[in-house]
Amino acid sequence: MDSKFFMSVFVPYSILLPVIIGMIKLNVLPGSARIIWYYLLISGVVSILAYIIGRVMHMNNLPLIHIYTPVELILFCWFYKTVLNDPGNRLHRVLVPVFVLLCIINAIFFQSIHTYNSYTRSIEAIICMLFALNYFARLATVTNGKKTLLSPDFYFNSGIFIYFSGSFMLFVFSNFIINSSSQEYYIIWVIYAALVLCMYLLFSLAFILCKK
Amino acid sequence: MQKVTDNIFLLVLFAMLGTFILAASFIFFFLRYQRNISRQKEALQKAELDYGEQLLNATLLSQEEERKRIGRDLHDDVGASLSNLKMMMAQSEDRGDKHKPLIDNIINTVRNISHSLSPPGLDLFGLEFTLHELFDNFTAGGTIALHFENKLGTALDALDKKTTLALYRVIQELLNNTIKHAKAKNVTLQFFMEDGKPVMSYLDDGKGIPAEKIKRSGMGMQNIEARLRMIQAAFEITTEDGKGFFIKITLPPAAEKL
Repeated sequence: MDSKFFMSVFVPYSILLPVIIGMIKLNVLPGSARIIWYYLLISGVVSILAYIIGRVMHMNNLPLIHIYTPVELILFCWFYKTVLNDPGNRLHRVLVPVFVLLCIINAIFFQSIHTYNSYTRSIEAIICMLFALNYFARLATVTNGKKTLLSPDFYFNSGIFIYFSGSFMLFVFSNFIINSSSQEYYIIWVIYAALVLCMYLLFSLAFILCKK
Repeated sequence: MQKVTDNIFLLVLFAMLGTFILAASFIFFFLRYQRNISRQKEALQKAELDYGEQLLNATLLSQEEERKRIGRDLHDDVGASLSNLKMMMAQSEDRGDKHKPLIDNIINTVRNISHSLSPPGLDLFGLEFTLHELFDNFTAGGTIALHFENKLGTALDALDKKTTLALYRVIQELLNNTIKHAKAKNVTLQFFMEDGKPVMSYLDDGKGIPAEKIKRSGMGMQNIEARLRMIQAAFEITTEDGKGFFIKITLPPAAEKL
């Protein structure tokens, strides 16, 4: 497969796989799976908007990522709150407003909406990785291995963990490499696309495993 | 200061690959760890289960030993003393005629208790003979008819001691249940071969037990289950409220050599 086709057609369209599976099984999706399905819908809409603004209107589409970042974190916070089902934990109530505030401050004072928001994106990746590790820590107390492999939440969590861990360095150094056209830069985006595809496939598997 | 000539793209590439490998390995080792823990837990559960079964076996065996001892003492000591008393009274002046029925009754009761505690015929004459003795006791009142059929022939008496005793106790318990609770008129007990395995079936035409009550139907059923588990016999109960009680017991591997 041509790498350009892989990056610009195959991976963006692969989002349809979990979206369609999720839609077919919408009636049996538990709360956590529905949140991931909403996340995929929003992610798909943002990708379409980014394409229209960037490729059709030939304008800078980076402001979108400044909006998308807090929305994505809110959805993942909601997801982990549902999955962990810990009413005593009020971390999310503090984390979400603080992060949204941070995104606004960052966009106004540090990284303009026309540049890549590497600070907030990196912080988001760290938060999501911590959420994912926390989920694994909780899961370690459940000793039934077979049950884990049949749990949709395990695959959602693994998808999130792999995506953010793999992309973390790209988020951190994005502004250093964003204007390059070298071969290595191209490879980085191919790897990024592969990580996204990996996440979508794990989400698809999770939707398939969802039962009433 | 030495000028840094590292390629930032390569560094990012390596970092991305490195963190991805770390994350993927973490998930892989996590699953392996969980599987190992799960196996250990299963092994522990199995060991606990085995220990529980051994404990149950030991309890049932010591219970049998104790029954045997009490039965023997009743028969040999109390029974013999009563017989002596009867003889002495027969030699007395009034020949003890007034008390003879009472003494006979006590002797019979002692013998019945002694036999039910430890059936002497089981070792000497085998299961079929002892079962007939047991049936005689149960059908003596005339309220219930017992139909017995042994298609295994002499093989039934060739069962090992543990299996024989367990089957005897199970049948005793089943008959007790039928008499006490089922209000049945007919009981059919059969031994036969099915798929090359010796099978025992017990059927009564009593009022049956609602399926949901079988599990909590008291010590009787628990005893039956424990004894059958002890000899590794499989069993299947079919009963419904008002439609009788049926149990099919597939005898243990040792018995299959028959």
